[in-house]
Amino acid sequence: MKKSLVFTYGLLILLTVTTALISNSTAISRVVVGLIMGLSAIKFLLVAFQFMEIRKAHIFWKTSLLSVLGLLLLVLIFS
Amino acid sequence: MILLIKKNMPFNSYLKDKSFTMTNAKINYKNIYYPPGGILMWIIIFLELITFGMALVAFVYYGKEQPELFHHSRLQLNTAFGAMNTIFLLTSGFFMATAVHEFKENNIKKSSFYFKLTMLGGLLFLVVKSIEYYDKIEAGISLDTNMFFSFYWLLTAFHLIHVIIGLVILVWTNYGMTKKNSDTVVEDVEACAAFWHMCDLIWLLLFPVLYLIF
Repeated sequence: MKKSLVFTYGLLILLTVTTALISNSTAISRVVVGLIMGLSAIKFLLVAFQFMEIRKAHIFWKTSLLSVLGLLLLVLIFS
Repeated sequence: MILLIKKNMPFNSYLKDKSFTMTNAKINYKNIYYPPGGILMWIIIFLELITFGMALVAFVYYGKEQPELFHHSRLQLNTAFGAMNTIFLLTSGFFMATAVHEFKENNIKKSSFYFKLTMLGGLLFLVVKSIEYYDKIEAGISLDTNMFFSFYWLLTAFHLIHVIIGLVILVWTNYGMTKKNSDTVVEDVEACAAFWHMCDLIWLLLFPVLYLIF
């Protein structure tokens, strides 16, 4: 089993638990929404770059993914 | 070109001899036309992310127009189920990535084992989603209950269809990989994995927007 995959998985679970704790403990505000979506974005990128190995791909694919994600988050948080 | 040249082999034989060209060639992922999983799969992934993304933007837009309705509706969702499904899909994704790694190391039996664990994660997702849907139907919450639940049913159902298709692809790829005289190559396994991870990517956006932020 590849160590980097195990580490990535552990990090993903930690971020999921953190998101659950944040959403349960505080009232929903724009800051909390930003935090929750930010953590989800980090998880999204971990899956894409580590599990899907897009880190090995041409820069076009990496920047395209980052751009789509970034644009989506901006619209979701600030709309 | 990534094909290796076999001495004295007629050119049109390269096109037929897929097992030779694919298994013996190293894939240059840095080539823009060969991202891991294949260019066609990544075009599909981007189209799916954009489609679901636009739906989520529309959802948030309507949520801003009717904040109280969306908040009260959101409270009727089972966040624990949603969190469990996140864990199942992330764990399944981990097993999928491990299965690909083992296939590349030529450990077909190990890869198949991790394929089965991946499928188990997907099945657990289906079970929890079914329970969640059953609870909603029992509570009389349907597609036309209100705007929030119209989006909820459509988004989660379309995602569920993708998970089911992903499971079918997993079963098919695992069968192809383990049968006698298998001609499954690493590109096939990577494409299968990319589709499965896409289901995870979509859920990672769907879950917080539907279950947490309103």
